[in-house]
Amino acid sequence: MAGSSPLTSVSDWLRPQQNRMIVLMGLAGVAMLIPLVANNYVLEVLTNAWFYAILCLGLNIVVGYAGLLDLGYAAFFAVGAYTTGILTSKFGVNFWLTIPVAVSCSMLAGLIIGGPTLRLRSDYLAIVTLGFGEIVRIIARNLEITGGASGLIGIDRPSIFGLELSRGIHFYYVFLLLAILACFISYRLQNSRLGRAWQYVREDEDAAEAMGIGRVAVKLYAYVIGAMFGGVAGCFFAAKMTAISPETFTFSQSVLILLGVVLGGMGKIPGVIIGAFALVLFPEVFRGLGSMRMLIFGIVMLVIMLYRPEGIWPQKQREV
Amino acid sequence: MTKIQAIAVGALAGLLMLGQGWAADVKIGIMVPTTGSEATAGKDMENAIKLAVDEINKSGGVLGKNIITITGDDGCDPQMATAAASKLVSNDVVGVVGGYCSGATLPTLKIYGDAGIPFVVAAANSTKLIDANPGTAFQINSTGFDQVNSAVALFKAKGVKKLAIVHQGDGYSEDLARLTRDKWTGMGNQVVAYAVVNKGEQDQSSLVTQIKSKAPDAVFWTAYYSDGALLIKQLRQAGYHKLIAVGDGSNSPKLLEIAGKAAEGVYCFSNPTADYLPAAGDFVKNYKARYHQAPDAYGPLAYDGMKLMADAISRAGSTDKAAIVKALKETKNFNGITGAISFTDKNTLAKSNFVVLVARGGKWMLNK
Amino acid sequence: MSTSDIILQQLANGLILGSFYALVALGYTMVYGIIKLLNFAHGDLYMVGGFVGFLVLSLVSGLMGSSWAGILCSMVFSMLAVGLLGVIIQRIAYVPMLQAPRLSILITALAVSMVLSNGVMAITDGEYLAFNTDLGYEGLDLGNVFISYTQLVLVVSAALLMIILYLFVHKTLYGKAMRAIAIDQDACRLMGINVNRIIALTFFIGSSLAAAAGVMAGVYYGSLHFFMGFVIGLKAFTAAVIGGIGSIPGAMLGGLVLGLLEAFGTQIPFVGSEWKDVFSFGLLILLLIFKPTGLLGKTEIERM
Repeated sequence: MAGSSPLTSVSDWLRPQQNRMIVLMGLAGVAMLIPLVANNYVLEVLTNAWFYAILCLGLNIVVGYAGLLDLGYAAFFAVGAYTTGILTSKFGVNFWLTIPVAVSCSMLAGLIIGGPTLRLRSDYLAIVTLGFGEIVRIIARNLEITGGASGLIGIDRPSIFGLELSRGIHFYYVFLLLAILACFISYRLQNSRLGRAWQYVREDEDAAEAMGIGRVAVKLYAYVIGAMFGGVAGCFFAAKMTAISPETFTFSQSVLILLGVVLGGMGKIPGVIIGAFALVLFPEVFRGLGSMRMLIFGIVMLVIMLYRPEGIWPQKQREV
Repeated sequence: MTKIQAIAVGALAGLLMLGQGWAADVKIGIMVPTTGSEATAGKDMENAIKLAVDEINKSGGVLGKNIITITGDDGCDPQMATAAASKLVSNDVVGVVGGYCSGATLPTLKIYGDAGIPFVVAAANSTKLIDANPGTAFQINSTGFDQVNSAVALFKAKGVKKLAIVHQGDGYSEDLARLTRDKWTGMGNQVVAYAVVNKGEQDQSSLVTQIKSKAPDAVFWTAYYSDGALLIKQLRQAGYHKLIAVGDGSNSPKLLEIAGKAAEGVYCFSNPTADYLPAAGDFVKNYKARYHQAPDAYGPLAYDGMKLMADAISRAGSTDKAAIVKALKETKNFNGITGAISFTDKNTLAKSNFVVLVARGGKWMLNK
Repeated sequence: MSTSDIILQQLANGLILGSFYALVALGYTMVYGIIKLLNFAHGDLYMVGGFVGFLVLSLVSGLMGSSWAGILCSMVFSMLAVGLLGVIIQRIAYVPMLQAPRLSILITALAVSMVLSNGVMAITDGEYLAFNTDLGYEGLDLGNVFISYTQLVLVVSAALLMIILYLFVHKTLYGKAMRAIAIDQDACRLMGINVNRIIALTFFIGSSLAAAAGVMAGVYYGSLHFFMGFVIGLKAFTAAVIGGIGSIPGAMLGGLVLGLLEAFGTQIPFVGSEWKDVFSFGLLILLLIFKPTGLLGKTEIERM
């Protein structure tokens, strides 16, 4: 067929639900079995990839589904990580109990950041979210309770049913499961009423409002849910790293997460996951590049925006 | 098994072995900042360590085996450092040499400690490291306590009464600042300003104005060179002409390069740099020959760190990590180019190696 | 130092800081006024300007020395070079995106910013560069208040640039065209104005002003770093918003106001130097929520 690339014919084959489930099960199976054959280094890289997948899926809800350019997403991730960090290292709270607290804090942050800014037009919104991201980072850097510029160290490793999660293989499964959960939630959201409402608001806010969709409420949902993803990722990140510092939550980090979302294809779950993997695997595969890594990323992002803004993953045919 | 299958298995096994590295090599990890604001110091340390490794390997290696190194970049950031440390641990190193930024080194002590890996800390010297030491780390640079003594002695000798202290909130500079303040006020003197500056902040004018308004006799900068240079420059530009001193985090010649004329007469408390180490002549020569530049301030210590590690492995007679730790602990007057190394029971240097340097004509000189 | 001394000193500090902010804010506001784009890469042009100036200075210092003559030469060259760079960026990255959804062009600007800052990082290996000049530390010693000659010259130069810009925009035909395009692009096209040429000119001027500020900052602070564009970009945007985005006198005023606010802000108890940025960003956010048109801006009809 003229004009059909290998990717398009693959996505054609994937159209029926049955075929898709087969592929998904297969991939999930492979992902579960990888730790048996991979060495520590590969495991660490893949764990990192799943971790970014969660973050990118979260940002995807804000940017991809609802069309809100959030340049300070790292703030939610920071809130989750620091909440868990502070509660476990300074107050000795059990890790699993900190999760609901951290998630609530992230959601609260989502409300605080989202609330006043949602009436703003997209360019202002971008800058404001950037500003908030910086504010969160600077607060983390300046306050004593967050450990100041040194950050928090000595965060305890959590235990589940008596097994202490400390080895690479443990965290691989933790993040893999979280990522699968994130995919599932994203998928259900995408096909829900809320998901459609986001689509309308993203395409044309005024028309959506005219149709009776409360656009501020809808946008707020996007923020808060996206914040939740970031918060959860942050908790487990803190537990895995046992040390967090404000330098992890910089604007560059927010940009990196955005890059992952844009690379693979905004709004498309498989695209976002591919983007996250590309983000993590690229610097590992091309170690020699070193300091040029971000430069190449920037060029790649530029090229994608100019020539293929839908991202790597092929565009789904519009269902009429 | 068919022939093809056997070959395939053999090839796979070969590849796996290749991936693990030759079992005959001794793997040592290098943990320094090779990116970020302290990259100059970090790369210099890495160069010095590799120079040491080459010399060791040329004269037969250690226990008859070659040393190979793996570098983990800590970026002077605690979180990057933990990632680097995890990476080194998962690469099965038998020892680690490095550690420049104390704030970044601190969280890695536990990681190496849990894995039983001996860690020779070449440069990081915050006193926080002493308490957090799980017993497997050994500091070969004099600690903050010694530095504070040098600083306070100089201030007293120069007749300073009112002191202003500026740090950056990280594990190293905050520690040094706090200890200095406590000691100085303990001696009955005044600390008129105690301020924190953000890393990377270019414009210090409001801080400078604040400091000037308190009219201190001396300003003590306890953090690193990149922002220290700017502060010195802006202090002089604003008309502050009295004594300025910096800690060993700013002992890089780069401080003088960036601050230019403003750095003239600035004091620095530091381990002796290569120029002032009588035994370092060959090291400087070889370093220059190989890397086409002079070694930075921590090159000699990093070099000694690697040589000490190799020496400890020899004395231990094996690459068993616990044995190496024991050998390090028992070190008696190891002859490094930075001086004789012995450890206290807290794994710190038995004898302080701090000197006072002063900037003259764009170079650091020993203060007479 | 008495309170009046401190006030005077902080006034001087605020003015010079404000001059930098104003110069960079002007570029932001001009581009926004004419094509409604927030150029994320603008702060990085300031940074590149500083580096180009450093490069040129090291080349000409043999001939002209490293004092004001050399600095002026490198500043002029940097302004021209970076102005050109701004036009090239506009052509390559922004023109193709003008019909795309807003999100896309914003991300593109972000990508350009990444390329610029990481490009310079790759070249400098991420290290700080010492920008050394032969300028002395003499100045006006008014008792406890000290204003160096360097500060004076820089503030005056910045003011000069701003005056020249103002005259250009209000007294020349090009300037008139720029103002007209900001009001109604299509009408201008119908009137036969070469809109694309004028937009390119706007980018050129905005970028060269940022470059001038970059060189001045390099001279004043003495060091350059690949990431220095980031914060200044945000601060300049804040300044532009304070004055009213799209308004040229607004950017100048906004820059000065922000500089002064920052200088005096740190005198407030508990707001030390480390909270300076939170202070500025917080201000920005509050402004955007409550008074997005700023001091001199006109309330505009929301054209989404």
